[in-house]
Amino acid sequence: MHRQAYSNGHAFTSSSAGRSDTFSIQPHKFQPRSQPALRRRQLWIRRILAGTSLFLLAFFFFFPNLRPNLGSGPLSYWTSTEDSQLETVRYYDLNNVQGTARGWEREERILLCAPLRDAAPHLDMFFSHLQNLTYPHNLIDLAFLVGDSKDNTIQKLTDKLNELQADKDPKKQFGEISIMEKDFGQKVNQDVESRHGFAAQAGRRKSMAQARNWLLSAALRPTHSWVYWRDVDVETAPFSILEDLMRHNKDVIVPNVWRPLPDWLGGEQPYDLNSWQESETALALADTLDEDAVIVEGYAEYATWRPHLAYLRDPYGDPDMEMEIDGVGGVSILAKAKVFRSGVHFPAFSFEKHAETEGFGKMAKRMKFSVVGLPHYTIWHLYEPSVDDIRHMEEMEKERKAKEAEEQAKKERLDKIKDQFDSKSSDWEKEKAQVQNMVQKEKNEAGKAKVDEPKKQEIHEARGEEDKKKAEPPKQEAPKAE
Amino acid sequence: MPYPRSLRRQNPITYVLALILFVGFFLFFFPSGDDASSGSTERRTGSLASNVLSPPSLPFRKSKSNEPAPAPPIVHYYMNNLTTSPNPVENEETVLILTPLARFYQEYWDNLLKLSYPHDLISLGFIIPKTKEGNAAYTALQAQVTKTQSGAKNKRFKSVTILRQDTESPLQSQNEAERHKMENQKARRAAMAKARNSLLFTTMGPATSWVLWMDADIVEYPPNLIQDLAAYDAPIIAPNCYQRYYNDEKKSMDIRPYDFNNWVDSPTAKELGAKMGKDDILLEGYAEMPTFRSLMAHLYDGSADPGHKIKLDGVGGAVLLVKADVHRDGAMFPAFPFYHLIETEGFAKMANRLNWESFGLPNYLVYHYNE
Repeated sequence: MHRQAYSNGHAFTSSSAGRSDTFSIQPHKFQPRSQPALRRRQLWIRRILAGTSLFLLAFFFFFPNLRPNLGSGPLSYWTSTEDSQLETVRYYDLNNVQGTARGWEREERILLCAPLRDAAPHLDMFFSHLQNLTYPHNLIDLAFLVGDSKDNTIQKLTDKLNELQADKDPKKQFGEISIMEKDFGQKVNQDVESRHGFAAQAGRRKSMAQARNWLLSAALRPTHSWVYWRDVDVETAPFSILEDLMRHNKDVIVPNVWRPLPDWLGGEQPYDLNSWQESETALALADTLDEDAVIVEGYAEYATWRPHLAYLRDPYGDPDMEMEIDGVGGVSILAKAKVFRSGVHFPAFSFEKHAETEGFGKMAKRMKFSVVGLPHYTIWHLYEPSVDDIRHMEEMEKERKAKEAEEQAKKERLDKIKDQFDSKSSDWEKEKAQVQNMVQKEKNEAGKAKVDEPKKQEIHEARGEEDKKKAEPPKQEAPKAE
Repeated sequence: MPYPRSLRRQNPITYVLALILFVGFFLFFFPSGDDASSGSTERRTGSLASNVLSPPSLPFRKSKSNEPAPAPPIVHYYMNNLTTSPNPVENEETVLILTPLARFYQEYWDNLLKLSYPHDLISLGFIIPKTKEGNAAYTALQAQVTKTQSGAKNKRFKSVTILRQDTESPLQSQNEAERHKMENQKARRAAMAKARNSLLFTTMGPATSWVLWMDADIVEYPPNLIQDLAAYDAPIIAPNCYQRYYNDEKKSMDIRPYDFNNWVDSPTAKELGAKMGKDDILLEGYAEMPTFRSLMAHLYDGSADPGHKIKLDGVGGAVLLVKADVHRDGAMFPAFPFYHLIETEGFAKMANRLNWESFGLPNYLVYHYNE
């Protein structure tokens, strides 16, 4: 009924009915809401709750391992902010980092590896190459392994890297940069001669391989699609080398490596002989060698007759031409990271009679990866004169000096001759002058004595004689000019 | 103005109780802050990365999202200082536990949590195939990882890396009978080798001292496993892998050998290998191919010295503790026949070529899951 809507304690004025009819409440009178029984029950509940919480407190105090896990509490933000900011779990999908032909568009990360040893003199050149790379720098991670260095490589490297990362433009900053310091205690010298001597090769290549493996295994991440190996002593290389090599979409790819030479040595020369195609001769040779032997290229001791990438270069050839190879050189290798993930590495033992980068090529082939070289795409290695070259240059210097000395001697001799002729001709001239004087005197005397007619004739004759005498000196001088 | 009834009539005891409860709640249910300062397992300095671009075996500190990211730092790793010693706990050596995961067993995870080696020195790495089974394992693993890494501080692992990858192996079924058919072995183990290598080379990083290979179906081992194995100071060391089963004859639970890849080479096997083609592999535990190698699985003697150590030529991957240096030198799991050996057996051979020796503990047992 509507009536109740008005029954808020006031009389319903229009009603003619009596007071007893209206709905009435008494707002000021206290009425207990609950019964004593209910109140007692509430007290019990409170006691039980308190008891349980005390029990739980004690229980969890003594058995901390049984505490329920409720996540990080609201207080943890100021009690241990450091900890809550810590990320310990990482998820990666390796299918996203297989490597494609157009990595720069798909933001594929490259790991650039460079093993260093006493490399301080080359770092300036190396870093200018880094800065010039056209591949987005923020997608390039740098990893260096510095070992057994006696110079200030580490200090210089750190300074250079700091300079590099100080760039304001985030696009110019490189990605993760790691410097691993590890000494292997190598005894082999790194100077050109001992580095390339035949006897030292196998041991040297094995320890180089070890360094490369340490570097790679410490630096490879699940985010990398490509791995690029680059020596620091490359002098000239195209800025777009990463894209150029990547475009071929091969598992392992190397350019041709040459080096410039002084003119007297022919102007240029193939440098990296480790990129080659396998030959029957070499396979037969490999079978005759013992398990730990290592075949190295470019030495008369092992005539392998393999086609070398380096010798196939045509300066005007198509730079995109590819050639299947089996052994690769380590100056500049671009490989898909999946090659390394699947286990291919630089054998520090004799793998199919090869070690280091050549063994790497062999192993990649064994695992059915594509390995190619670009014979007409060339980068230039720094020219460091070898001991032979230095000897040759010394010889040339000696020759030059000998030649100079000879010329000097010759000149002196000529001067001497000239001096002698000079004195003779001056004598002659004195004599000539005397003769002339005498002639003049005679003429004068004769002129005084004789009459006009014969005098004229005599003068003519005398003049003729004079002319003859004047013509003579050039004949005398001729030897001087010789 | 009079107080509201409820406040006026309350007993002060209630407030005291409430206060205690409140404080207790924070102290006990969120143990994070207090444990870190009082516990002995303080997170080691120098084992934190400041950037996302860092080795996955290191935890990194998230930067505040509103700041522009600073240039990635130049990080020096002093690998000369990295030790692998017989007492790794004292030297705070980090252990990387790697597991190729196809199926997730709760017992596997429970055993990991029970490891007595300090958890903040342990990093975990998993690689999971992108199959239906793999997805299920991934979900289960993820749930456990999340629970553990946000749980009690001394149980949290230093870092966890989870990789997913398509398997190249066409094998659909992972069930035991199908998996062990001889003709399937080569392809299966090659795929397995690749998975192991992918996992190893992407997660090892510059700070790992030891790598512990642990198969996902290893469900029982002593909590001191890492310390026990490391104490031998061996480059590569494997315990004996057994399986519990119900013996119908004895009518009771019994154990039987499971992993036959731990062996000492025999002249017969060498001869067999010499006659084989370049791409053929020798396999162990198949009647068609008797190799007469002495298998560590058969050398178990419960009454003998549990610390007895033997030299091995081939190892299995069920449980395997490896010094990280062995892997760094290049010893990996060949996915191709290497001296007619593949995967973990080939690994032992490759390590051997790099002058690292393998050892086994015939009387130290770990247990494989029984399907």
